[in-house]
Amino acid sequence: MRISVAVFCAGLVMAASGSDAVDRGFEDVTQTAGIAHKHTNRSFKNAYAAIMEGYTALGAAAAVADFNGDGLDDLFVTDSQESGKNRLYRNNGDFTFSDVAERAGVANGNDAENASSDALWFDYDNDGHPDLLVLRFGHNQLFHNLGNGAFRDVTRRAGLDRSMNAIAAVAFDYDRDGWLDLFIGSYFQPVNLFRPATPRFFPENFETANNGGGVTLFHNSGNGSFTDATEKAGLKTSGWTLDLGHADADNDGDDDLYVACDFGTDRFFVNNGDGTFSDMTEKAIGIDTKKGMNVDWGDYDGDGFLDVYVTNITDDYMREGNFLWHNNGNLSFSDVSRETGTYDSGWGWAGKFLDYDNDGWLDLYVVNGWVSAGKENYVPDIFEMIVRPGVDLADARNWPPMGNKSLSGYQKKKLFHNEQGQIFTEQAARHGLDSVRDGRGIAVADFDNDGRLDLFVTNANSEPFLYRNTLPAGSHWVEFLLQGAKSNREAVGAQVRLTAAGRTRLSFVNAGNGFASQSTRRVHFGLGSGKTIESVEIRWPSGARQLFRQLQPDRIYRIAEGSAAARHFTAKGVKK
Amino acid sequence: MSRLNAFLLLILFTASSGTARGVEPTAADNHYREAIKAVSAKDYTTALTEFELALDIDPDNLRFASDYRQAVILAKQYDRCLGFFEKLVTAAPAASNAYLNYGFAYVDKIPDAGAITQVILANKSLSLFSRSIELKPSWIAYYTRGNSSLFWPKIFGRTPLGVADLEEAMKLQKTENKRGFHVRAYIALGDGYWKMGELDKARTLWREGLAQFPGTSPLVERLAVEGDPLKALIDGMYDPNKRVDTNLHELWTD
Repeated sequence: MRISVAVFCAGLVMAASGSDAVDRGFEDVTQTAGIAHKHTNRSFKNAYAAIMEGYTALGAAAAVADFNGDGLDDLFVTDSQESGKNRLYRNNGDFTFSDVAERAGVANGNDAENASSDALWFDYDNDGHPDLLVLRFGHNQLFHNLGNGAFRDVTRRAGLDRSMNAIAAVAFDYDRDGWLDLFIGSYFQPVNLFRPATPRFFPENFETANNGGGVTLFHNSGNGSFTDATEKAGLKTSGWTLDLGHADADNDGDDDLYVACDFGTDRFFVNNGDGTFSDMTEKAIGIDTKKGMNVDWGDYDGDGFLDVYVTNITDDYMREGNFLWHNNGNLSFSDVSRETGTYDSGWGWAGKFLDYDNDGWLDLYVVNGWVSAGKENYVPDIFEMIVRPGVDLADARNWPPMGNKSLSGYQKKKLFHNEQGQIFTEQAARHGLDSVRDGRGIAVADFDNDGRLDLFVTNANSEPFLYRNTLPAGSHWVEFLLQGAKSNREAVGAQVRLTAAGRTRLSFVNAGNGFASQSTRRVHFGLGSGKTIESVEIRWPSGARQLFRQLQPDRIYRIAEGSAAARHFTAKGVKK
Repeated sequence: MSRLNAFLLLILFTASSGTARGVEPTAADNHYREAIKAVSAKDYTTALTEFELALDIDPDNLRFASDYRQAVILAKQYDRCLGFFEKLVTAAPAASNAYLNYGFAYVDKIPDAGAITQVILANKSLSLFSRSIELKPSWIAYYTRGNSSLFWPKIFGRTPLGVADLEEAMKLQKTENKRGFHVRAYIALGDGYWKMGELDKARTLWREGLAQFPGTSPLVERLAVEGDPLKALIDGMYDPNKRVDTNLHELWTD
């Protein structure tokens, strides 16, 4: 029935879209916002440099948090070249930003032995100031937010100073002890990529490679330090991790994990509630051979269970297709990407759920493209290697240099509009979001607190985009900023169930889901034409539940765990 | 009727017709008959063993090998099948039909493989089809290699090679008695022309095919659409994730 309903809806949508002309919904304000600094890929200076160039076009990442507590979401943006500075863009409240990274002490993320690859804000010490983790090919950096605009490097003291070649991280409280733990994914093994001692550090094959960097779980001890709990928790893997996503898949109160892997099988781990996880991959999603690059969780069909969106490679020469994993509610998932129209987004990278038009349904924005360079295509080169009998793929010397050739380049980004939970229609061009740069991350946030979600898109070897949401402000919305008490202070993992117009929707607080990008910590709901919110239930990570009734729409609420009041929140110094 | 049932009926029919040839069944025929019985009983282990014994005796037997592969697909024993054919062609290096079926064995595995492995398998199958042609140029070998080439994305430049093979198959079929399966060359060669951007040539050939084989659905469908719908139709036909019907029964039942 799902397919026939979807086809029926598609017919309605097509009929409708032919008659209405809607203005462009986003405006590119990158230049005027003062946020157009270009990302540059790392160039290596070793014997394998020419080969590595083609496989390390990564590191263009962004992370959102209100680092200075002024009620406006700010941005941290990475560069990857040796002399490149990372940027901390303070939101000035008028859709302009000021780079304060040098002053804050977080600009120096790149040097001869380290290349920035991703970033994550999380309040590891529950002091109310989001701290900053910078992931790197090399050694990560943890900066403690001092609360006065400055940060202190506490990497060593925190026990996080180790070679990891990390590419993705999420923070969540897996054992619900009130402290945010760290789950980090690494692409390469912990070899020194800048001075490799061996040429055998490339993937051993394209579909079941197990010689990657895997994952590492760091347990937060609550005293400013972390301990490696990977094996104890049962999370040992050795795939080529590209992204991680945490969410409560079975609504049992603790967060489960999806791990997206390049060159092999994605993994799904169920939280056992006792500090350990069970690998349920085979039962939940089956064994795939694709090139997983993104994990985002969202309840796209409003059935009360969080679904998963994973990007893979889809092009003329390789038609893997993305996964839209519909959560069946029993810790198993069904891929509905084909029937929902979200199957093909090219060589996909970040794909984020967001309700950009506040109609009450989660849409999907997906960026794509690997390397957009010269007219010559790299595909024949790579396939010539693949079909060579007995080729040792783990040996980097066997891989052809990419030179100035393109591989799945100049691809148009996709904006999939959710048509009432059944099917998605592609509308990127209509809204001016169909750039052809090599997209990597998408940070979603309401930068001007107007209830409409804006987008910051990072691009490899290129300038980013800041898209201001300018859709007509007629649809209603509400946002929640949660603060834990017994739970971790940022309330990561808290679920919010909002009921309006007789329909209940589920969202949650996540920290770092989606490739190369952390979106706002706020929980946002579009309400369409609905002017009343019947109820809001919050399920805190501590297990506590709170219910609020008859809230007003079009507001941002700050709710503290255990407090009976939902306070209307106003940002300091917002300039309209 | 399910695909499985149709297959079983077909092979039971053809197996029983073996004795109707009026000759004493050979040891190979007996193994083949046992294999067919085992397939109908879903005893694939026995079936595969009996097929292999039959082929060991008669390695160039197209029907034995084709039915063996269909049983392999049901049993999902692709690697066993590939290993068997490797040994078979080593033992019988002049058996062109064994090479042809060896190539098909790789094709049979493609839908169950990942995107990259699909390329490796497809590439191996092409080299085996080529060996089959070298040993004995035939309509089925040219058609098979030509049709396989059309599955490759444009970037690999194999479409012209596929068209050349299919033109060769077309030449051969025009020198033979008209057979039902010859319509396949009209379809595939037209698709090849379409992939080369020669739409008029494609449509002319499809029309010619329809005149020769009236009512053939794939030709009617192609001639009924243009532009994107035609592209979608042809792209759908050459999707490596869909199983290609490699049952060669038309060659002896038509």
